[in-house]
Parts: sequence; C-alpha cells; structure tokens
Amino acid sequence: MSGLSPVVVVFLYGLATALATGLGALPFAFVRTVSPRLLAYANAVASGLMLGASFGLVSEGADYGRVSTLAGAVLGVMFVLGAERLLGDREIEVGAARGEDARKMVLIVLVMTVHSVAEGVAIGTAFAGGATLAALITIAIAVHNVPEGLAISAVLRPRGASLAACAGWSVFSSLPQPLLAVPAYLFVEAFRSVLPYGLGFAAGAMVLMVLAELLPEAFDEGRRPVSALLVTAATVGMVLFQQYL
Amino acid sequence: MEPVLVVLLFSTLAAFTAPLGVIPLRRRRSVPVAWIGWANALAAGFMLGSAYVIAETGLHAHPAKLAAGALLGIGYIHLTHRVSGTGDLDLNRLDGMDPLYGFRILFLSGLHGATEGVAIGVAMLHDLPFGILVALAMAVHNVPEAAVLGSVLRSAGLGAGRTAGLAVAANLGQVLLAIVSFSVVPAVPGLLPWAIGFAVGGLTYLAISELLSEAYGQAGKRTIALMTIVAIGFVVLLGGIVS
Repeated sequence: MSGLSPVVVVFLYGLATALATGLGALPFAFVRTVSPRLLAYANAVASGLMLGASFGLVSEGADYGRVSTLAGAVLGVMFVLGAERLLGDREIEVGAARGEDARKMVLIVLVMTVHSVAEGVAIGTAFAGGATLAALITIAIAVHNVPEGLAISAVLRPRGASLAACAGWSVFSSLPQPLLAVPAYLFVEAFRSVLPYGLGFAAGAMVLMVLAELLPEAFDEGRRPVSALLVTAATVGMVLFQQYL
Repeated sequence: MEPVLVVLLFSTLAAFTAPLGVIPLRRRRSVPVAWIGWANALAAGFMLGSAYVIAETGLHAHPAKLAAGALLGIGYIHLTHRVSGTGDLDLNRLDGMDPLYGFRILFLSGLHGATEGVAIGVAMLHDLPFGILVALAMAVHNVPEAAVLGSVLRSAGLGAGRTAGLAVAANLGQVLLAIVSFSVVPAVPGLLPWAIGFAVGGLTYLAISELLSEAYGQAGKRTIALMTIVAIGFVVLLGGIVS
C-alpha cells in the first residue's frame, strides 16, 4: 500500500476492522428457533463480552489517566440513562419487535456504536505512534471486533432480526472506527488528551447497559447458575482474548 | 507493623463486619427486602471492582496460568453451590424459611471465605494499602448476608447476637487463607498468576451468581445497576490511588 497516502491507509484499515465485526453474526446462522431461555443465555453471553470489553477500555484509559477515564464513565452512564428515557417515551417498532424488545435492540446498537467512537480514536492515535505496528494493531482490533459483533447479534437475533440485519448492524456499529481513526491520526495530540474520557465513556455506557438491561433478563428467564456461568466465562474469556490477541 | 500482621488484622476486620447486618433486627422482625437488595448491589460492585483492580496487577504475564486459575476459581464457587444445595436459592422470601436453609447459607459462606481470603492475600502481596482496600471491599457483602441470616435463623430460636457470632465464625476461613496465600504464594515460583486468576474468576462469579442475581428481584433494576456501577467506580478509583 506504499502508493497510498497514510490517511487512506488508516481509513482502509479502520474499515477492515469494521467489516470484521459482521463476522460476529455468523454463529447465529445455525440457530433456527429461539426460546425465552435461549434469549436469556444470549443476553448472558452478550453481558459477559461487554463487561470484558469494558475491562480492556478502562485499563487502557487508566494508562492515560484514571480520574479522567472515570469521569468519562460517569458521562457514559448518564448517556445511557438519557437514551433509555428518550426511548422509553416512544412507541418504537423494529421489524416485528416492539416495546421492551425493540428498545433493547435500539439501545445495544446505539451503545456499541458510541463505544466504537472511542475505539476509532484509539486506532488513530495508535497509528500515529508508529507505522510499523499499524498492520498488527489493525489485525488485533479486527479480531477483537468479532466478539463485539457477537454481542450485538446475541441481542438482535433472538428478537427476530434476520442474519443479514445482525451482520449489517454489527458492521454499522463499528463504522465510527474508520471515520474517527483518520482525524485522530491527523490531530493526534488533540485527540490523545480526550482519549481517556472517550474510553471511560464507552466503558460506562456498556457496563450500565449490561447491569440495567441485559443481566436482569438473563436471570429472569434462564437458570441462574447457567446464566451466571455464561456471564463470567464470557467476561474472563473476553479479557484474556483482548489482552493477548 | 509486620506485613503479615497487617494481613491478619484487616482480614479479621473483614470477617467481623457481620454484626452490622443484624443491628436493624434489634428493632424489627426482618429487614425490608429493598435494603438487602441495595446492600447486595453495593457488595457486588465492590467485589467486581476488586476483581478488576486485582486483575490489573497481574494481567501482563502468564495468560495460560491466569486463565487456568480463573477457571479453577469459577469452578470452585460453582462446586460450593452444588455441594451446599444453594444453587437456586431465593433470598427474596425472608419469612417462614426453613432454618436449615440458614445453615446452608452459613456453610456456603464458610466455603466462599477461601476465594475472599486468596483475593485479600494476593492484593496484600501487591501492596499493603491496596490489600487493605480489597479486604474492606470484601467485607461489605457480609452485612446483607448477616441480615438475611438473622431473619431466617430467628425461626430456629437463634437471637441476633448468636447469628452474628455464627456468621463471623463462618468467615474465619478467609483470615486463614489470606495469611496462607500471603505467605505461601511468593515462596512458590509461578504460583502468583494462578492465585490471581483464582481470585478474579471466583470474585466475578460470586458477585454475578449470588449478589446481582438476587438483587434484581429485591429492588428496581435501574437502582441496582446504578448502585453497582458506582461501587465499581469507587474501588477502581481508590485502587489507582493506593497502588
């Protein structure tokens, strides 16, 4: 890619990582019918993946500044509370889903999209650190986007979204990555100073979404030990996955 | 003070928080369920926050040992539920419970002391003030537990004072394991990542399977979510300050 300007390269790399998110929908190609219990366990897996991802975001943000990361988390929590309130007042329909289900579907896409903003900034600033590492970083982020697509699909698919829609919304949720990676790369100093807030924001939004929306439902319909095991195993798995891949 | 005495002091202090849970029972027959829900949410947040800060100390090396340790930690707690027959217990009903159920909680609590003890031990190894923070964060969940026990064991004719005593006694295993892991782990090469994984996996599973799963039925889910996340943030913030 030596003929291309670095800006285009950063964008293309960001785009590749976004497309990887769509792969997360794949496991749902093999699921035909969805019982309430399966929905609960899908929620449990999504919860664990998001908790694990938040762990990575906070520990990355803490390298820049722990207090600013936590301040960002407070904003993220407030963002989700605000979004819940807005969605709560409306009659929304998503495909065949309505009411509570439709609200969760909109919320997960919203939260995961917003969290990609912070990741896009992280990619851009990482690229500015050294071009030789670029490919490595891209592969790492692309790989770690796959379980995020899985988390989104785990919420959308059991509520009636088609496989294509799951993949599509997964990719959509990662589009801020290429879009934000470029300005972050170009104006790295300015973006670096807001990065801990952004990472904290993403983590706060995801953790609240898990605690207030996904986890209660995982316990309502699922057998408790199974739900708890799925959540914990997915959390630990995601942390190790992100840390070492 | 000798480091090991610090470990002894604070893990003992953590074991002795149970009497706080029976204080409200002196004036009323049982504690409102919502209070227990809030306390469980705070305790879950403190526990998840502790799991986070402990994991942060050890996350840069030996992924395979950490993962294996975490699986052991999760498996251990899961097994204690199987053994004590409390896997599906419902803490929302406080009245008219079989006292046997109360003793099962005590038994379970004793077994869980192992996870909490190892967590305190490895945190103390990292840094003493950091370990003190983790010990205190661990201690919070003893309070709602003792409140539930006090309500349940009343039907077996046990007063609040004796219930608190039993709860403290059940927690003493954590003091032992805190000291053992503090002394033994540094002496055995390669054991630290196992111990960190064990503590992190166990604490996470404990918080989710026992504390949060109950709390959602005991108070509103948004209140529970907010209290939990505030408690997590509190421990993460303090964990950064003390270490």
